[in-house]
Amino acid sequence: MSVSSNKGLWSFILPTFLTLGAITVTPILATFGISLLYINLTMPGPPMFVGLENYAELMADSRFWNSAVVTAELIFIPVAAQIAIGLLLAMVLKEKLAGTRWMRMAFLLPAVIPPAVSGLIWKLFIVPGAGGLAWLGGVFGADMSLDLLSMPSSALAVVIVASVWTGTPFVALLFLSSLESVGDDQYEAARIDGASWFQSHWHISLPELRPAIITVTVFRILEALAIFPIIFVLTGGGPAGSTEPVNYLAYVNGFEYLRVDYAATIIVSFFIVMMALCAPFLVGIARREAKEAR
Amino acid sequence: MLRTREKLFCYGVAALFIAFLLAPILWMLSSSFKGPLGIFAKPPVLVGDVTLENYRQVLSDKTFLRSFLNSILVSAGTVLASMLLALPAAYGLSRLRSVAKAGLLSWVLLVRAAPGMIFVIPYFVAFNQIGLMDTRTGLIVINTVFTAPLAIWILIAFFDAIPLEIEEAAVVDGATRWQTFLRVSLPMAAPGIVSAAILVFIFSWNEFLFALTLTQVEAKTAAVAILNYMAYQGTEWGKIAAAGIIILLPVAVFAVAIRKYFIQTAAGGVKG
Repeated sequence: MSVSSNKGLWSFILPTFLTLGAITVTPILATFGISLLYINLTMPGPPMFVGLENYAELMADSRFWNSAVVTAELIFIPVAAQIAIGLLLAMVLKEKLAGTRWMRMAFLLPAVIPPAVSGLIWKLFIVPGAGGLAWLGGVFGADMSLDLLSMPSSALAVVIVASVWTGTPFVALLFLSSLESVGDDQYEAARIDGASWFQSHWHISLPELRPAIITVTVFRILEALAIFPIIFVLTGGGPAGSTEPVNYLAYVNGFEYLRVDYAATIIVSFFIVMMALCAPFLVGIARREAKEAR
Repeated sequence: MLRTREKLFCYGVAALFIAFLLAPILWMLSSSFKGPLGIFAKPPVLVGDVTLENYRQVLSDKTFLRSFLNSILVSAGTVLASMLLALPAAYGLSRLRSVAKAGLLSWVLLVRAAPGMIFVIPYFVAFNQIGLMDTRTGLIVINTVFTAPLAIWILIAFFDAIPLEIEEAAVVDGATRWQTFLRVSLPMAAPGIVSAAILVFIFSWNEFLFALTLTQVEAKTAAVAILNYMAYQGTEWGKIAAAGIIILLPVAVFAVAIRKYFIQTAAGGVKG
């Protein structure tokens, strides 16, 4: 036997994948199934098969369409901001200025703080008239005592800021690690040719980061709705549904209105859309990984 | 070399962002040491009536302490379950040369990309029927749904880095594949295993949706139990701030401990 053969390898792989199949594929299929049923947890009686009726209801549900728009806003605005600011920060950190080592460590924080605690951190920071924002306003002589969470547009803005806060430092560190392979001499050469700091990064760093930008964007899009705990703590989806993305709407239906069938319908629809958008890309990454290694 | 103006610009950007990043955290830290007077002072104060009362109350709150213990046990259990599943699979996939490999890897990524809600609904129904509702075991199972694929993806890279010649030597000495894996490959991948384990621990510690929906009292974890202080009679911000600091401290320490690997591993597939 040689270690370069496949012999015996399936005994490593199969037990895990069979277990994972049982605890992941089964539930996903079950959720699909539940979305085709009528289940009323508040009334006795077995579930009824209703086909695509829940989906028909969904298509006519204005609250769902509102949450679809909120979902788009909560995915694309924060991800665009995270990528743009992350790029700028990576370029700044690449310069090895005084204190950048400490900055890198501080940058880890938002990525590891429990999201529910992040939500509380922001909620406490903007307590009307008594939070850190009001304190900062006092220092700079501006009145910052508005109740930001009471109005739809400002509540959405707060959630977006919290989402940018959570994701940006991590994105910056990812880009920075991709930039590590670029030697300082490349920038020096550009500088000698008269390029400014910004130009040198535009022409050297950006092309280098291109693949990383694409990958990071896809993963940030897939993970954008992981801010569920932040929304739960900050706004509860309100006011007037202004911060209610689809996964939150599914939660409300399943666990407040006890309509698990409708909750399943919502999340399955979302899953299908996301997979249609991102699956080809994920498969591509997996293929590359499979080829690259050995 | 940077020109002075460019240097100023870089420092400016860095300082602004660090202020944005740290201000809310520092505000929670300072609030955790404030008494009721300081918390609701108008205009607000940065340092109020300094007291340890919030920490004393949180640390003597039996409900919170139980949730903290639950967080430790659930996270440890999730690490154990994920590693038992992920280590052999990652090793096998790393060594596998077959068209099936890309398929299995795609599947790992797709599962990781599925929204948590899609799992919550059937697990909620099933746990109610088989008595796993509000148990730490149940929470470990559903956490593993997410963390095992994550761990597999991370560990493959570390097994890939082990030279085949070293395993070849063990095989020549008559070791079986499993013996080679246990005695040669595992010890060599130790740094990777530790950072993958820490990452799984952090994920499980921070997990909110599953704990919110699948536990009520007994198995509630700290990340959800902290919301008890946002009760009907008004939010107890002092206790929330103290509890928040207590909850984020362990994961912050862990993240700094594995900072060398953190970006590489946490990205889990996000590489250039």
